[in-house]
Amino acid sequence: MSRREGSLEDPQADSSASPLTHLEAKIQQTHSLARLLTKYAEQLLQEYVQHQGDPFGLPGFSPPRLPVADLSDPAPGHADLPVHERLRLDAAALAALPPLLDAVRRLQAELNPRALRLLRRLEDAARQVRALGAAVEALLGALGAESRGPGPEHAAAAATDSAGVFPAKVLGFRVCGLYLEWVSRTEVDLGQLAPGGPA
Amino acid sequence: MPPPQTGLLGQLAATIDLCFIFSLVYTAVISPQDPTLLIGSSLQATCSVHGDTPGATAEGLYWTLNGRRLPPELSRMLNASTMALALANLNGSRQQSGDNLVCHARDGSILAGSCLYVGLPPEKPFNISCWSKNMKDLTCRWTPGAHGETFLHTNYSLKYKLRWYGQDNTCEEYHTVGPHSCHIPKDLALFTPYEIWVEATNRLGSARSDVLTLDILDVVTTDPPPDVHVSRVGGLEDQLSVRWVSPPALKDFLFQAKYQIRYRVEDSVDWKVVDDVSNQTSCRLAGLKPGTVYFVQVRCNPFGIYGSKKAGIWSEWSHPTAASTPRSERPGPGGGACEPRGGEPSSGPVRRELKQFLGWLKKHAYCSNLSFRLYDQWRAWMQKSHKTRNQDEGILSSGRRGAARGPAR
Repeated sequence: MSRREGSLEDPQADSSASPLTHLEAKIQQTHSLARLLTKYAEQLLQEYVQHQGDPFGLPGFSPPRLPVADLSDPAPGHADLPVHERLRLDAAALAALPPLLDAVRRLQAELNPRALRLLRRLEDAARQVRALGAAVEALLGALGAESRGPGPEHAAAAATDSAGVFPAKVLGFRVCGLYLEWVSRTEVDLGQLAPGGPA
Repeated sequence: MPPPQTGLLGQLAATIDLCFIFSLVYTAVISPQDPTLLIGSSLQATCSVHGDTPGATAEGLYWTLNGRRLPPELSRMLNASTMALALANLNGSRQQSGDNLVCHARDGSILAGSCLYVGLPPEKPFNISCWSKNMKDLTCRWTPGAHGETFLHTNYSLKYKLRWYGQDNTCEEYHTVGPHSCHIPKDLALFTPYEIWVEATNRLGSARSDVLTLDILDVVTTDPPPDVHVSRVGGLEDQLSVRWVSPPALKDFLFQAKYQIRYRVEDSVDWKVVDDVSNQTSCRLAGLKPGTVYFVQVRCNPFGIYGSKKAGIWSEWSHPTAASTPRSERPGPGGGACEPRGGEPSSGPVRRELKQFLGWLKKHAYCSNLSFRLYDQWRAWMQKSHKTRNQDEGILSSGRRGAARGPAR
């Protein structure tokens, strides 16, 4: 028996299995990343509300869930969609989040300039969600289910009235909440794609 | 729709070219928006429900401040769509992002919000102190006025300029050695005085410290002396020898450097300091406890650089170096002093008297070859012979005890 026979490390030992194994590994890797970002998103939201003051951190605090341009909450029927469609929606949302997180970071840099950990978390979140979105896009490509072309320009102008500090605080709360919802939704959707998950 | 804000957030949004990538619509508006107020002042605010909202009325509206519902007696309806609020004797803001004043509908839903900034203008910063590491940079520290508690975000800016010419410069590297500090890393002139001051600014005003004038050469510090070695002095159980190297960055300038040594027993927190070790790189500690581990540190004051007359600034202490004194049967003396090498007498009382005695002997008894070296040799010989006597007595004692017990089995 040669030394290399039966070796798990030999990529050429069974060429018919390696592409699937590689894809499964990528799915697991992306799923793990989504799980990690879900945890970070929870921490970010907690840190955020601390710095805005009550009522932001109080149980039952519920400002109007006003629409944020280019990004909405996962639809109620999201979980019923085919997994590839869900991942497409996840990828689109993840792509819309970085400029919003950047905007919140810049606002918080003015409102809470000494909240260095909050500012760092917001900066990290923008970078991490960009990486997760790219990983989901890559998976969709590997599955033959690419996303539907480039989305709208996420930095496009949309007239609004950014009237005051309180609405800016609410905006940040909303964006952090959407970030948490979408990364946790992505984690669930990838979990169904991962080996051993429900079909 | 209320007009776009021209305040800070409006400027910020324009500057970062977001052009408002989000949309927020509130069904009411609070006036004033984001006011800044002195502690103890009063506020009259209104919550006006938008006329185009169906069923819009001020009936049943209520206020919360930082999540706490305000007593209804503080509110009154001005008209069908406007509820007024009167707050008196305001406390300082609970968070730097502003206190959250919120107008709620009867069902508790949020209609509008405004953030209150209640605080004090800054007081004059004071107690500026600066030092230069090896003449290459300048670090300054200051104390904020009124201990810094203004309840508002207060920005501190360290400014400096050459005294007789040049423009104002602003330090850029903050918080390098604490919250109120700044570091100027380069491009500093020597032999010419600088003027340095701190400006404090917040929403309620600004204040400026007194100007500190200094020459970089008068505030020089350096690195701790490297290569500190501590070793025993032969068999002397109450002495340790300390040697170090002059800090390399300034070694060509340290003609008048001062050094200081501190040492402590291993399990103690009390340091003993040996002052004024002068411009030498070795010292002998005397009067130590035998059989004891000591930690020793050395620091340097590079005063007198380029003829500066100022006191100079001590470096940090070197990393602790440990050594132990030899064991002894006799308890050693508790005090300590730095004994210079070469036998010159120190300031200790015993050795001072000994010096006087030796001087008298040389004069009157023709003992020309007497010296401290000879005295130290005698002490070492005395300790050795004392140990030998104790060992012999111990052997003899155990021999007698063995005899008393009878022969071994």
